[in-house]
Amino acid sequence: MISKEDFEAFVERLVKEDHREVVGVQEKGDKFVFDELKAAKDLRLDYDVTILPPKKYFMPQRETLVKYKVKDGHKAVNEITPRIILGIHPYDLEAIRQMDKVFSDTYEDKNYLKKREASVLVGVNIENVSEWCFAGSMGTSTIEEHYDLMLTDIGDKYAIEIGSEKGFELLDEADVMEASEDDISAVKKKKEGVKEKFEKKLDLPPEELPILLERSYGNTDFWKEHSEKCYSCGSCNLVCPTCYCFDVKDFNELTLDEGERIRQWDGCLLEEFAIVAGDENFRENRYQRYRHRFMRKGRYIHDRFGDIACVGCGRCGSHCVPDIADPTEIYNDLKEVTK
Amino acid sequence: MSGKPKAAFFDLAGCEGDQLQIANLEEKVLDLINIVEVVSFREIMKEHSDDYDIAFIEGSVTNDHLAERLEEIRENASIVVGLGSCATIGGINSIRNSQDHEEVKHRVYGDQADLFPSWDKAKAIEDVIKVDYHVHGCPIDRDEFIHVVESLVLGKDPEIPNYPVCVECKLNENICAFERDEFCVGPVTRAGCDSCCVNEGTICWGCRGLIDNPNDDAHSDVLEEYGLSAEEVMKKFNLYFGWQQEARKDE
Repeated sequence: MISKEDFEAFVERLVKEDHREVVGVQEKGDKFVFDELKAAKDLRLDYDVTILPPKKYFMPQRETLVKYKVKDGHKAVNEITPRIILGIHPYDLEAIRQMDKVFSDTYEDKNYLKKREASVLVGVNIENVSEWCFAGSMGTSTIEEHYDLMLTDIGDKYAIEIGSEKGFELLDEADVMEASEDDISAVKKKKEGVKEKFEKKLDLPPEELPILLERSYGNTDFWKEHSEKCYSCGSCNLVCPTCYCFDVKDFNELTLDEGERIRQWDGCLLEEFAIVAGDENFRENRYQRYRHRFMRKGRYIHDRFGDIACVGCGRCGSHCVPDIADPTEIYNDLKEVTK
Repeated sequence: MSGKPKAAFFDLAGCEGDQLQIANLEEKVLDLINIVEVVSFREIMKEHSDDYDIAFIEGSVTNDHLAERLEEIRENASIVVGLGSCATIGGINSIRNSQDHEEVKHRVYGDQADLFPSWDKAKAIEDVIKVDYHVHGCPIDRDEFIHVVESLVLGKDPEIPNYPVCVECKLNENICAFERDEFCVGPVTRAGCDSCCVNEGTICWGCRGLIDNPNDDAHSDVLEEYGLSAEEVMKKFNLYFGWQQEARKDE
């Protein structure tokens, strides 16, 4: 346990004295983002959802992979900033757990994994629920592992659960005290209470998604109707905590004797995503790309890694201008029409 | 092309703001002239030659005289690159394409209107000649111009995005204009500007033109759903898309 006052002092010390960069959830206009903390008072642990998930710290939006010089050859680049990340919601921690798997499964992606290893993940249980969030239906409104520390707001203090050695060490500098029986039951109550707060709900258990999607792949009318207003803008992909596709490009300096190879987030909703050599596009039509995302989240990743790749954060729905991306609407409608 | 390719810059109907962006490359101009030989560039040098490989053309085509000049340039050059919105999509000049031409002429030239023969519609240069590459924007992005030049010199196709500005807004973690109760044409506009206008808290006006396959019908509907009148929607689309929208109808 730590009083809120002591917690702020603890964060302030981290910001000023720790050699690592301290990032946390802060206001941006009337939204929230993960960004470098300049002062402990800027931290907003009562946020609802951030624009981008914390994935950006392990897989940056644009990242240099290789630098090359015509005369000296090339060298691999991995810019690692050790970080303490404060205020990750349980659904985003679940997404990070899945990304850790994706980036280490068959090929160990050092650019992701080294950044991930250099980070301390401090979670926080959800205090305010975004109107688009349906983590309650996805079993991700709370999480019992895959964090270094987990905070729960119980009035004038935070309960701190320790999830790892890294988390334990971070607390060296904090004025913490033992939790009482009452504190423990307050945390338990909080975690149970949050499940009831979500307005958006899935009408089926997520385990049923793979089979539902398998059955509805061929329901072209359904996918065409729902994607009619799709811009193919990729916003739903780009804000998703479990989307990990990227494009690789080379950029030369105007001197032509050096340059770099970068990777940048990509998205399967974008028209050119599935174009291969010879200009063949495997998903030329809007509805095919639209369907593909739901298939990935609810079925393909499940077949490959055993996870339902939607964690219920609701970011895709909230960022879709024509409002056609909310997974609860689509999956619930699909259930309705697939009997 | 063997040796250093020769490059020439031309301007048709436009404000020359794109060439100004190139002049503003400052110390990088030296790198530029290391890889191409600039033989004509009215804004920064007095020499001129008609012997060139790459022609960079700014401005839109608005009368017979400009069309003839453009055709001559095409004959001389092996590669033609459109520079900026006026050249690549008709640009601001094409606002007039949906208006009464006589009225437009009088508004600009008053009683002297008859002294200035001009077409009733401004055209992108690709409406008149074959264009090999486009550097979009109003004005162009200097880094993208550099990317196009180095690609051409290396014999590669430049990477010009064909996805909408929304992509860059998300990468930059911008608050969507629609969430600020504003309306923009970013969802149908070609990216490549790094969403620079929205990064500064304003909206996308569409200066890089429509992406190849925009869902503009859906976007008109969505704008109306968000409370814009049909006329306001037309205005949003006509600022930069005037020529492009008609060209797409003709396809």
